[in-house]
Amino acid sequence: MKKILSLLFLFVLFIGPCRPGATENLQSMIDEASDGATIQLESKTYEGNIVIEKPIQLIGQGNTTIKGDGTGNVISVRAEGVTLENIGVENSSMDRNSSEEYAAVKVYTNGNTLRKLTIKDSFHGIYLSKAHHNTIDQVHVQGSGDEEIAGQGNGLHIYYSNQNTITNNEIEGTRDGMFFDYADGNIVLNNKITKTRYGLHYMYSNENEFKNNIFTFNTGGAAVMHSNGLTLENNQFIFNYGHRSFGLLLLSANDNHIENNTFYMNQRGLYIDQATRNTIRNNHIYQNQIGIELWASSSDQIFTQNVISENTIPAVTLGGTGNNAWSKEAIGNDWGNSFPILDLDQNNIGDHSAIFQSSLYELIEDQELTYLFLKSPAISIYEKMNELLNKSKIMFEDEHPLVSHPKKQVVLWPVVLLVLGIVVMMKMKSLPSKT
Amino acid sequence: MNYIWKEWKESVRSKGLWLSLGIMIIVSLLMLSRSSDFSLDQGFYLLLVNLFEGLIYFVPILCLFLGAFSIFQEKEQKTLVMLLTRQESTLSFLGKKSLAIQLVLLAPIFVWFFIYLIPLKMNFIVDLHHYFLFLVALLGFILVFTQIGVFIGSISTSRMQITGIAVVVWFYFFFLHDFILLSVLPTITHDNVQLFSVAYFLNPIQAVRMFLESGLGLYSFGNMSRLLESFMWLSPSIFFGVNLLFWIGVSFALAVLLHRKEGS
Repeated sequence: MKKILSLLFLFVLFIGPCRPGATENLQSMIDEASDGATIQLESKTYEGNIVIEKPIQLIGQGNTTIKGDGTGNVISVRAEGVTLENIGVENSSMDRNSSEEYAAVKVYTNGNTLRKLTIKDSFHGIYLSKAHHNTIDQVHVQGSGDEEIAGQGNGLHIYYSNQNTITNNEIEGTRDGMFFDYADGNIVLNNKITKTRYGLHYMYSNENEFKNNIFTFNTGGAAVMHSNGLTLENNQFIFNYGHRSFGLLLLSANDNHIENNTFYMNQRGLYIDQATRNTIRNNHIYQNQIGIELWASSSDQIFTQNVISENTIPAVTLGGTGNNAWSKEAIGNDWGNSFPILDLDQNNIGDHSAIFQSSLYELIEDQELTYLFLKSPAISIYEKMNELLNKSKIMFEDEHPLVSHPKKQVVLWPVVLLVLGIVVMMKMKSLPSKT
Repeated sequence: MNYIWKEWKESVRSKGLWLSLGIMIIVSLLMLSRSSDFSLDQGFYLLLVNLFEGLIYFVPILCLFLGAFSIFQEKEQKTLVMLLTRQESTLSFLGKKSLAIQLVLLAPIFVWFFIYLIPLKMNFIVDLHHYFLFLVALLGFILVFTQIGVFIGSISTSRMQITGIAVVVWFYFFFLHDFILLSVLPTITHDNVQLFSVAYFLNPIQAVRMFLESGLGLYSFGNMSRLLESFMWLSPSIFFGVNLLFWIGVSFALAVLLHRKEGS
């Protein structure tokens, strides 16, 4: 009897459900649903991969997860009008040898909504492939981190896809945060991208808008290449701090508007190469090693109304003398305390040009290890010595530098110093003299 | 143990330790007040980096003076001669004295930055591992310059001499060392970049800064060029550790070898 019971017990153990709650076939549920149906998923793990070929809504709960089998895309959207909401998606194929690049969610069609997805352990997070008018909102993509480049893809990969809206997403530790490739007319708002290679890797894409995004701790904040008509407003590029890192790179990028952005604590705030006719206005560029690195291959940039202060080097022009404007309509930039500028008529515009000379340009052009010394106090001595030896070159001339007048604290500092002086004197008188 | 207790009692009564601690406290609080605009997640790292950059301006010179004057006091009070005659060799005296000076200086600083964690936690998201790394970097930095200060005190015969040598040493590490390297930078190629790297990381300021920034995950070495790969032929942690051992070892050895018993 005991033997029979124990055998029965073992039988039940092994033949019973292998994993709790993963018995329903999600693909079947989708195939059986009618067009426009809403499928409420339970708070459990469903087996992928799934292909959606009709307009339905898949709505998850707290712990709803769709886990791929590692052979392809976890979710492929091949119909218009699909909504995916509140779902965890993980485990796409990581195969680099196939012709297709796999993703947690790959969208091939238009007018879909991807909202509140949590993506991890996948090559790309979300891939839009010739997919237009889609919405990606409040998606969280977690990459493998550790600066892994080859072994993983991008958080969002936007390929030949136009007029999409990408908002409130968080991407961390992927190869690049967002990769735009031949993608036009997209609106990208309020996203946070951190610890990637390029927070934004942007190529051959035109007329997109990026507003209120935050790029931090990346090798490069945003790399904009071979693209035109971009609007970059109110973004923050902070702590993109590695060797040769930058807040914003403009390479062969033309007619872009860079306005009201913050570039703070980057190796280089802006790095501009072979770019023309960009307007850089009203940005706050401060505490970077190099505020603006401008190669002479770039021309007709307009820098106006920017606050460029407390950078180790405010701006440096390399590779010769370019043709760029440091003011527009007689309004230049506020250089902070970099230069002593007189404003006797108190019209907030300097009475003379702000001219910056540097000898570091040669070193920076020829030797990449120069960047290792930018934080050293020796830089100021190096610059001063070469200035005395007439080895400096004019980096820029701002003919109408802005001067901000701080609130009048004329009385405060002398009073503070006076009080300090009195305290020290009293202390010295009261202390017994030591031999 | 006697050395440590004696050193503690002497330092507590003198102005040097309190002045150094006071400046460090004021600077850290000032940095904290300036960081009120920082965001919750980045603010912690912004504060640490700015704080470190602020501290390296005066920590070396203070440590040099503290180490040097502590040794010199023994000469002035003639206790050094008594100790060396009765029970100690130069080596054991300097060893125990160095240990005492280091402990007496590092302990209150460690305590302060432990207390400092409280307002930090209230304002930012704090990563304790990274904060510990910051402490290790700062305390290592202090160790090196205090030990060099002990060397200065050991070889000097007057307070003016100490002041002069300390200022020269500080000026060298702060400005001159990197200035020399900048001047030879145009000649650096793949063939000599490793030697250049050794020279670069000989500067405690650069070694500590690189260790701190790479440890905090701020300074990434992804996609390095060949030249930079050759330059970073050891990890920043190893450069930091070797720098520490080198300067502490060399300073101590020279302090023993070139020691002068008498002060004026």
